[in-house]
Amino acid sequence: MDPQQQQLGSAAPPGGPASVYRDDSAQAPIPHEITHGPAFAMLRVDLPPGQVVIAEAGSMVARHTGVAMDVKMNAGKDPGFFGLLKAIVIAFIRKIVGGETFFVNHFSAPHGGSVWIAPTMSGQVLHRRMNGETITLSTGAFLCSAGDVDMSLKFGGFRALFAREGAFFLEVSGRGDLWFTSYGGIEAIDVNGTYIVDNGHLVGYEGALTFDIRSAGGGLMGMVASGEGLVCEFKGQGRVYIQSRNHSSLLSWLRPLVGG
Amino acid sequence: MQINLLHRPAQALAQVWLEPNESIVAESGAMVGMTTNVQMQTQSGGLMKGLKRMFGGESFFRNTFTAHNGNGELLLAHALSGDMTVLEMTPHGYFLQSSAFIASSPTVNIETKVGGFRGFFSGAGVFVLKAVSQGPGQVLVGGFGGIQELMCDGNIVIDTGHLVAWDATLTYTVGKSGAGWIASYLSGEGLVCHFKGQGRIWIQTRNPVEYGRSVGSQLPPRG
Amino acid sequence: MQYEVRQKPDFGIVAVRFDAPGEQLLVESSAMVARDTAMDMKTQMTGGILGAAKRKLLGGESIFQNTFTATAAGQTLWIAPGPEGDVQELICDGVTPVFMQSGAFLACAPTVQLDTKWGGAKGFFSGAGLFLLRAMGTGPLFFSCYGGIHPVDVGPNGYIVDTSHIVGWSGGLEYQVRKVGGLKSLFLSGEGLVCEFRGQGRVWVSTRNPSSLAAFLQPFRPVKNNG
Repeated sequence: MDPQQQQLGSAAPPGGPASVYRDDSAQAPIPHEITHGPAFAMLRVDLPPGQVVIAEAGSMVARHTGVAMDVKMNAGKDPGFFGLLKAIVIAFIRKIVGGETFFVNHFSAPHGGSVWIAPTMSGQVLHRRMNGETITLSTGAFLCSAGDVDMSLKFGGFRALFAREGAFFLEVSGRGDLWFTSYGGIEAIDVNGTYIVDNGHLVGYEGALTFDIRSAGGGLMGMVASGEGLVCEFKGQGRVYIQSRNHSSLLSWLRPLVGG
Repeated sequence: MQINLLHRPAQALAQVWLEPNESIVAESGAMVGMTTNVQMQTQSGGLMKGLKRMFGGESFFRNTFTAHNGNGELLLAHALSGDMTVLEMTPHGYFLQSSAFIASSPTVNIETKVGGFRGFFSGAGVFVLKAVSQGPGQVLVGGFGGIQELMCDGNIVIDTGHLVAWDATLTYTVGKSGAGWIASYLSGEGLVCHFKGQGRIWIQTRNPVEYGRSVGSQLPPRG
Repeated sequence: MQYEVRQKPDFGIVAVRFDAPGEQLLVESSAMVARDTAMDMKTQMTGGILGAAKRKLLGGESIFQNTFTATAAGQTLWIAPGPEGDVQELICDGVTPVFMQSGAFLACAPTVQLDTKWGGAKGFFSGAGLFLLRAMGTGPLFFSCYGGIHPVDVGPNGYIVDTSHIVGWSGGLEYQVRKVGGLKSLFLSGEGLVCEFRGQGRVWVSTRNPSSLAAFLQPFRPVKNNG
């Protein structure tokens, strides 16, 4: 089995009655506005009646009182006992490794209303209209989605488990709206050949790319001495999205300041 | 007094221009730089009042900066990255989240309103302040992230960690965000504030408590 | 070598493009974001063990730095500092030294020399392990801080800056560190040490203060189990 492309399992489209997601009449993007970018971007979604926006737990800033919030487990439409068990295992690993939560919030407004959503770290929020293509995101990058958007979890390989940010990736495809975030600002790098990206700075990628996770400097001395942890080496043709800040670097910078 | 906000929206720095003998009262620790003719005095209002402030939940001290022998310049900033905004005093006044307060005109009276607000913000050491004044004045507030002004028309729910300030004309109740306690906990949302009435609310686009937990929990433990 | 500092002032990131093989950039360890695979990256203890140890003990910079060398024209490299904030680029003119707080150094051309200025710098910054670095040479120098960088042009009337907000300053300024307002103020005011600058030059001030961030995060840290 190809170690990089191992799929541990797939989380089917986040739970909810099938009719909401297969509703083809909802083809236009949901009205929304992204403000306060690029440093502290916040998303406002104006929900038309009958539509649902699914967001990472804990990301709500404000909502009109007419907007309902339902907490659901990120387990898929019709999980069954084993499906649920698999989802729990995945979520547990994701929680430990990626800090992602197991729960998502479904926002809906029977009479219309707005909900304001923002991520934890500073940075941008970007909107992507999905038209059947596939984009792979680092798990921390997902903010919310609407429409018939499929998400499946990809495992980055065992070595990736040491790289908090690199262990799992979210493969997003389908039709609908996707909003993702970055810690810091986003830069796009077009790859034609090979390119190396520090693991913590990876937001996502698309195109005909494969990657290999390895230590930065080659060998144990390299990993420790160079200060770089694990890197992602991309090969092929496509586009890689990087963020200008990195959780681990923030922590390394803070450690001597807090002492202890 | 003139307040210029520089480096907005994320690294906002307040550049305060003081006329001769004019003063501004600022949060301790907010001073970044100043011209050599600005003098600072710590306002403790007597030892007892100072101690009460220290233990009574209002754990901040304020300093008065005054320009002598000419105009003076003072640079002020708050702890977390983000924007600032200047609120002009109204007859009703404002409620502020404590760590949002940066500075105010000497004519503005800042009170800690402890009753009924305990646990309002699920974060450590954050409480509610009330700013009132008899006449014109200004309050300089800062937020974590961008600051967004929302108009409330009696129908808005806001996560308490995102509150910066609001008109004292609004009434509100604090509650859990989800339908039940378990749902609230699982939803990841903390406490929310249901606002009623007419007025303005300023929110910050990032939640300091959530940021603190996300980053702080991965730092080495404290003894 | 061409470079562009992007996303100022919030998340300064430097995009570097090497024009010819052999061109080099000296970079703070752990600042690399992305690079062409074929570029050479060497980790070294710059200045030999003694030089590096001196920098570590006195200069606050980590011993290891990375030297990136282009192996072909057109190779690109992205570098960014750890905290959220600005990146400032300067072209050193070979005549005026630049002094900076040790944690501020991000990258420089190999023609810029870094030195710890030991004398007179002790206790300058109240933060753990923060000292003064002196940069002198020709070519680009990049420094960064937590927060935005606000330049203040100082003249004979002087300017007072809170020491934890100082990023760096250009040679030609005299400075004196003192407490602001007396002992009672020191304890109660929350302001610690300030530095009074006089002369002719520029001071770079950060709009945010790392100690305040550390103090903010303190209650969120896990508590040590002394059981």
